[in-house]
Amino acid sequence: MNIERFLAERREVWNQLEALLKRAEEVELSRDEMHELVGLYRRTCSDLNRARSYTANPEILGPLNQLTGRAYRFIYRASHDTAIWATFVKLLTREIPAAFRKERAAVLVAAAAFLAGIVFGSLAILVDPANGRRLVPAQFFTESPQERVEKIERNEERIDNMEKAMHFGASLYTHNIRVTFLAFSLGALTIVMGLVVLFYNGVIIGAVGTMYVLDDVSVFFFAWVGPHGALEVPAIIFGGAAGLVAGRALLLPGDLSRGASLRRVLPSLWRMMIGAALTLVLAGLIEGSFSQYSAKTIPYPIKISVAALLFTGLISYLFLRRTQDA
Amino acid sequence: MNEVTITTPEHVPIRLEPAGAGSRFLATLIDFFIVSAVSSVGGFLFGVTLSRGIAMALTITLNFVLTWGWHVFFEVRKQGRTPGKRALRLRVIDARGLPVSLYQSLVRNIVRAIDFAPAFYGFAALATMVTASRRRLGDLVADTLVVRDAQALTYKGQFASDRRHNTLRTPRVLRLVRHKISLEEREFLLTLSLRADRMSPEARYDLMEEVAAFYRQELGLEADSLSGENFVRDLTAVLFNPQER
Repeated sequence: MNIERFLAERREVWNQLEALLKRAEEVELSRDEMHELVGLYRRTCSDLNRARSYTANPEILGPLNQLTGRAYRFIYRASHDTAIWATFVKLLTREIPAAFRKERAAVLVAAAAFLAGIVFGSLAILVDPANGRRLVPAQFFTESPQERVEKIERNEERIDNMEKAMHFGASLYTHNIRVTFLAFSLGALTIVMGLVVLFYNGVIIGAVGTMYVLDDVSVFFFAWVGPHGALEVPAIIFGGAAGLVAGRALLLPGDLSRGASLRRVLPSLWRMMIGAALTLVLAGLIEGSFSQYSAKTIPYPIKISVAALLFTGLISYLFLRRTQDA
Repeated sequence: MNEVTITTPEHVPIRLEPAGAGSRFLATLIDFFIVSAVSSVGGFLFGVTLSRGIAMALTITLNFVLTWGWHVFFEVRKQGRTPGKRALRLRVIDARGLPVSLYQSLVRNIVRAIDFAPAFYGFAALATMVTASRRRLGDLVADTLVVRDAQALTYKGQFASDRRHNTLRTPRVLRLVRHKISLEEREFLLTLSLRADRMSPEARYDLMEEVAAFYRQELGLEADSLSGENFVRDLTAVLFNPQER
């Protein structure tokens, strides 16, 4: 056991490896340098093993550990091209839709919970309009639907320029992202609570919608919330569905350990969450601008067709099976 | 200690130390200040050059892009280190020890919104205390870790003050050393010799004198001609290099 000599002899190898790694973080290495790096890495690995058999001293093992770890990360990383843009395009065009198709059962269950909420909300209002006050938060009751429509259509447009639109839009999507991921995490932790959140959101939309329909302003309602709702509602459902996938993996892992079970669904989860987040950003931008125009600027039939188009576009982008991944 | 062990394909276990909530919070704070500074400088520049409304819109967009893009960009492109993490010697890595991928980075930063709740990373702090490898929710979902970087190896040269004339390298001292210095003490002396270069001169002198005085008495050695540091170094050399070559 001669640590002094060991350190003196091997130090050169470690310094070389460190210098080469530093270089690799700045410029592309040549083929020869790459070979050299791998060689130095192997030697450092065996040094680490030897050092461990000599000593447990953190002053020696710590830096060696770190150096080996850095080289390991560099050599075994998945891909040597870190082109963010290309990865992002591939993520959008192929991987996100594939993840949604794979987990379509969870999406269907989440959508069913939401739809059940809508049906429940509408029925409650149809049975007794006074139920509205029991189901929907009080902030929606400052005026009757009819009054609100008149006010909005009589007044100036709320959004009259780019700036206001972007300002409002930005505040909306940051808020929506938070709501959706709350639905996700409740679903992931308990499954049932995730479904309840979806159901409750459905109840509110069903109740409010039915109140507008009963007040004879249904066209306004669909034109007003349609363009962004067509994206926002699916996004909330997607967030909830991702929560269900995570919840099933965590709470019902079957033969696997919980960790292994979660790791198995992680790739789908990431992609569903990124998909939901991007949909929400788009929805927020639309809600901040296009949705805020009344019939004076954009006729309601156009707004409703845009809503329908956005919805079918989103669904076919995610769920229509393309030939290449058959 | 709270270590995570990763075994490479060469069957070498690499041990990593997950970073705690405190240093991670500080790192995020530094990043937050940089992002805020950049967006307010940007906002100010937009404000002087453009009309008020457009400047507002651009500022909000800049802020949005920076808050969401900052961590992702640095984690993916700069070996898992944002400027804040770099300052505190932290690094984000994949749980298998590899660099974080773009997806992992996106996910752990989207979940940041939940980790931040209810205020100032409340959930994150709780999660890092409960989980074995100190992960916040975003780390759990994205399967990532935040680890502490070790110090670079600063050891240069040799332990003994003078390799040829180590006056402590005598049969008597070797015998004494074998009987009186335990394994833990050996590791302590080794650490002290390796760490000496990083100490302030005063602390180094005081500590070396104190340790030397203790072992002089313990081993019953005079060796008065040696300074404290040289005594400790020569002793360490004898301990870890008993035969000389």
